[in-house]
This record gives sequence, structure tokens and C-alpha cells, in this order.
Amino acid sequence: MSNNKYFGYAGKILTVDLSSSDYVVEDTPFDLIVNFMGGKGFGAKILYDELKPGCEPLSEDNIMVVATGPLTGTLMPASGHVTLSTKSPLTGIWLDSHCAGFLGPELKMAGYDAIIIKGKAKKPTVLVIKDDGVSFEDGRDLWGKFTFESQELLRKKYGENCQFMCIGPAGERKARFANIVSGGRGFGRGGSGAVMGSKNLKAVVVKGTRGIGIYDLDGFMRMCTEAYNELTVSPDTGGGRPKYGTNSIYSFMIEAGAHPVKNFQTGVFEAVKECNEDVLDKKYYKRHIACFSCPINCSKASRVDDGKYKGKFTEGPEYENMWSLGAQCGNSNIGSIIYGEHLCDEYGLDAISTGNVIGFTMECFEKGILSEKQIGFPVKFGNDEAIIKFIEMMAKGEGVGELMSQGVRQMSKELGKGTEKFAMHVKGMEIPAYDPRGAFGMGLAYATSDRGACHLRAWTLGAEILDVRNRIDPFATEFKAELVKSQQDFYAVIQSAVVCLFLNFGLTQRQITRCLQSLTGIKEWKTTEDILKIGERIYNLTRLFSMREGISAKDDTLPQRLLREPTKEGPTKGVVVDLDTMLKEYYLIRHWDREGRPTKEKLTELGLDKYK
Amino acid sequence: MPIADHKKCTGCRICEIICSIQHHKEMNPKLAMVRINSNWPWEDKVTICRQCKKPKCVEACEYDAIERVNGYLRIDEDKCTACLECVKACPFDGVVVSEITQKPILCDTCKGEYLCVKWCPAKVFSKT
Repeated sequence: MSNNKYFGYAGKILTVDLSSSDYVVEDTPFDLIVNFMGGKGFGAKILYDELKPGCEPLSEDNIMVVATGPLTGTLMPASGHVTLSTKSPLTGIWLDSHCAGFLGPELKMAGYDAIIIKGKAKKPTVLVIKDDGVSFEDGRDLWGKFTFESQELLRKKYGENCQFMCIGPAGERKARFANIVSGGRGFGRGGSGAVMGSKNLKAVVVKGTRGIGIYDLDGFMRMCTEAYNELTVSPDTGGGRPKYGTNSIYSFMIEAGAHPVKNFQTGVFEAVKECNEDVLDKKYYKRHIACFSCPINCSKASRVDDGKYKGKFTEGPEYENMWSLGAQCGNSNIGSIIYGEHLCDEYGLDAISTGNVIGFTMECFEKGILSEKQIGFPVKFGNDEAIIKFIEMMAKGEGVGELMSQGVRQMSKELGKGTEKFAMHVKGMEIPAYDPRGAFGMGLAYATSDRGACHLRAWTLGAEILDVRNRIDPFATEFKAELVKSQQDFYAVIQSAVVCLFLNFGLTQRQITRCLQSLTGIKEWKTTEDILKIGERIYNLTRLFSMREGISAKDDTLPQRLLREPTKEGPTKGVVVDLDTMLKEYYLIRHWDREGRPTKEKLTELGLDKYK
Repeated sequence: MPIADHKKCTGCRICEIICSIQHHKEMNPKLAMVRINSNWPWEDKVTICRQCKKPKCVEACEYDAIERVNGYLRIDEDKCTACLECVKACPFDGVVVSEITQKPILCDTCKGEYLCVKWCPAKVFSKT
């Protein structure tokens, strides 16, 4: 059934214009494959070439590139991912966002390596992509509906085993950090849901029956077997993560003081006894859920059996949201976290940004910057009912929720009064669940991440906290620049291959290179260095993209709180992040000049000459 | 013969992928002889033929399309009219229907090797 010239690829790219309800199908260019691999790489190249510089992210000029990679939808473990690249309405710069589950494999089965979505539909629309064609269907009856109900209705209409991209009411009203939901997973960060909403695109339905060819069947099977074995014996992917999900690191982070509490005011979470991964496992987790082709099954179905949130459920809660709706808001009521996460999915809001903003709002209230009259109710840290209320207000744009849903950067800009010192974002994206004062590497990772504060461009916590035998000092600046740079390049490969980052916990770079070789047979990908070069090329191109949109070295920074305000207690007592030292070294290693711009020599070396 | 414990299934579909590689040399869950149906977020449903000794599907088929070859039940695609009476007759909901041909598919057991059973990370299957 696979009928194209490249192994590992579907071989076609679909370009959709919502303004004219037209579409074009073209062969995936070979030079795009060789130089940019897939996923994030495709997004970087296509957006840099085709997006008008300075375009308004919520206008019809913005483009969404949804792309898979060679490993997506294969037997390779954790291959259920898919990437979305666009210009972010939250940050105004580069955005790539990744969704787990089953959408990526389905898109490849429908015959496409990528779909490029342009223009703006005149009325709410559902884009239906199947083996035999593309159609633009009326989405007015779904407009205003929650994401799970919408998907259920779409499934009834288009049959079992469809996969979806779907926005909720928050995306429809273009909340700046609205997400896109697919099954129980989603493209979380950076407001891709608002971009979809601005295009009047309620949902995308994908269904396909095509297969993926393998270049060297025996070799690839050997690699997959090796991968399964490695993932299964690793204490992380074969032990903690299958049992506790992403919360397997929860207690470690709290112990290290790297789990920020009450909007990063402290690293000490007193309620940890009643709110941790063991309680989750014993009381709330009901079953394990895996993404496509994944033996790790890090996802959980959770349900609340008693108390005021009885009956509420979610796929999760993930570590990030245990933090954002938990410790970040001083909240230890797990029931409310489960319900809060569910509501974020239903309305289509990024739960990380949501919780970050709520924590910020609570601090503003406690400091007297926002009054009870302005908000409508008291919102001290730990008030779980206020968290639920805020989620609904942000999704609907009610009261102070309208301002909150524009992100913490915009909110602090409007409030003034020194709030920028504790508005916890980088380049407009809210900081996730790790305090750099407990692991300096994360400070550099946030400051230099191409989409703003993000833990998935470099994740130094393995080396700084979790690795018992080869741990490097979390409070030192040495080696951090190298660590962050090498992770960023390698993660860019993983996100272009497109697989889950967790594959990286079980397989070495060499093994992943061999997987790619045996699957695709592409001769240009001989060594690990060849592969890493692709990652470095992509990371430099996304940098150029964001510089074109106006960022420079001055934006590669952290909020004042992390740089000047030491915590008063716990393992990180008295610590602030020494970012400057790491950043200087980082630019040096990257061959970026003082302005943070890639040097001509570096661009030439990466084959990006034309972007000088 | 494999019996699936639905409760254990995580929905990863590795069984489907390995099945398609084994029989078609490509990765395509839609060709698989085993099927996972999602009931997110709760229990998934596993569909796989148990290769019954007294199969109801054979009784139900008016076209003699299901026959025993080398000890294993098999569907003759030429005789099959996709009436799906066999699907209704199976007491174990064990007949997969192809999304491509709309015809029923029975597990051929990989000559008794059951690769899906071997690869299943959640150990969903037990043999009788």
C-alpha cells in the first residue's frame, strides 16, 4: 500500500488554503528531507521561506505547518508524535508545539508528511483529510462546543479510528495561550489554538489507510527490538515512568528545591505529604494509557472518587500541571488539579501557562496590586475554587480573565507597579515547572529556548538532579552551556524525526542515527554528526526566524526574580542564577555574536548561506 | 489461543504494527489482523480471533468463505461478500473488519508464533 519513492516517509505535502477552499498536493522535496528531516525542521524551513516577516500571528497571513517525520507512525517506540509550527500569538516569535497520541501516525497513513494550512475560512470550518481527498465542511454546529464533545460528534460523523485536531471555546475567542486538543492530548504551548481560531478552523479530521515502507527490514527490526529492550530495562522508562507517569520525578524535584512554589517565591512545598506521586498512584490513577507504539505508557487515566470534585476525571495529571495548578498556586488539592486539567482541555487552554498566570494573579492579590473588587472574589494562594473559577473566566474572557488570558507578560505590562519582576516568563512564554535556582542549566535552557521559556528544548535536570552517579553540580555554571547547546541540537533532531523526547532516555544518539538509517536508507545520513548537524541547522534557522521578528540578545534573559531575588529557605536558600556567565559561553560555543546572531561562518557551515 | 484481558491494554497498538510488518512488510495498523478500539480514557477493546475449535463464524457463513487451512481458520477473500454475518456470530467479538476492504479478517496466528502476543508490552494476552 505504500506507494512512494522514499522509505519512512509518506512522500506528499498537502497545502490547504482556507480562504479559497482549495488545496494542492505535491511531492515532498528530497532536499527538504535530507536537510531538515521532518517535523520541526520542515516547519522552520517552510515558515522562514513563506511567512511574511512581521505578520500579525492572528491574521490570515499566518501559516500553520503540521508535520510528521520519518520515525512517526513506525514500530520505533514513542513514535506517536506530530509537530505544529507557526508564529506564536503569545510571544510573537517562532513556535513549534508537539502533540502525542495518534494524530501523527494517522496523518502519515492518510498519505502526508505535512499539511500546510493558510488563509482564513469565511465561516467556522472542519477540514476533513482522508486517503482519497480533502474537503471543507461546515463547522458552525460545533462552534462554541467543548473539545471532547466536538471530537465525539466528529467521530460519530466520520467513523471510528479517526484522529482530530480540535479547538475549544478559548481558541475560538483567540485566548493567547489557547491549545489544540487531539484525543486526550494536545499541542499545548504558545497559543496554536488561537491561530486555528483566527482561521475559523474548528477542527481537522484525519483518517488514512496507507502504510510506511522500510528500507532495511531486518536492520530496522533489530533496532526496534534493541529500543524496546533498552526502554524496558531503564529504571526511568521501564520503572518510574510507567508506574507514576511524568510525575515520577515529582518528589525528586521538590527535594532539590527545583519545584517552584507560589509563583517562584519559594522552593519549599509544605503540602508535599498529601500531594505527591504516591498519592496519585494509590488514590487517583485508574489505568495506564500509551501513545502510539509506546511501551512506556506514561499517561494515566485519573478519576476523583470522593470529596467535592468526586467524579471528575482527566488523562493525566501530568507533572507540569501538577505544578501549574498545584504548587504554583499553593494548592495541594489533587481533585482540583484533576478537574482543572480537565477544564483546560475542554476549553482548550495550555494548562502550564494557565497555572502560571493564576499564580501570578494570586501574588498580585496578596501584594495588593489587584483588589478583591477588581477580581470579584478573594484569591489567596491555596484557594482551589478560585483556580477553577479563573480557568473558566480566562476561557470565556470574563472580568479579569480577559486580561489574564493574554499571558503574564501582557498582564504585568498593564498592571505595572513593578510586577514585571515576578511575571515569570521568557520572551512572553510562561515558565514551566522547574526553578532554575535549583538547577542553573534550566536557566540557560529557558533563556535560549527558541520559543520562549520551555523545558523541552533542553532538559538539564537529568544531569543536574536525577543522575545519581554522574551528577553535575546544579549550582555551578561550568559545562551548562555545552550541555544546553548539545541537547537543543539533539532535541531538534528528535522533534524532526518526529518521536517523543522520552525515546532519548532509553536510546543513545548513535542508536537513533542507526534507526533513521535502517528505516530511510538515506545515504547523506551516515554518522551521528550528520544527524546532529541537521539539528543545529534547524536550531539556527528558528533563531534567525525569531530575530527577524525582532528579538535579540537582550531578550535571552530571565525574570528579575530568578536573577536577583534569592529564595529564603530550603535547598536553594540564598541562590540566584548566574545567567551571564553561562550565556557568554553559550554564544561562544554556538558561534553567535554578541547580539546573539549566528555568525556568517556558522551559517555557511550549516548550509544556510542564503539566510545571512 | 490468545485471550485478551482488556483491562491491561494501554492502547499502544504495537500488536497492530508488528502484525502488519509480519504479513505485509510495511507498517500499517489498518492491515492488522488484531484491532484495538479506543474508549478513551477508559478501557480499550482488543479484537482478535481465538481460532475456536467449533467456530460459530463458519456456521454463520452462507458462502463457505471460512475454511481451515493447515489447522487454522482462514477467510477466502474471493468467496467473502462482506455480509459480516460472521462478525455477529462470533461470541467473543473476535472478528476484525478491514477498513480497507470492509471484509472480515481472522488472525492467522503467525504459524502459532503470535508476534503480537510476544511484542505486547502490557502482557494483555494469555494463551489457553
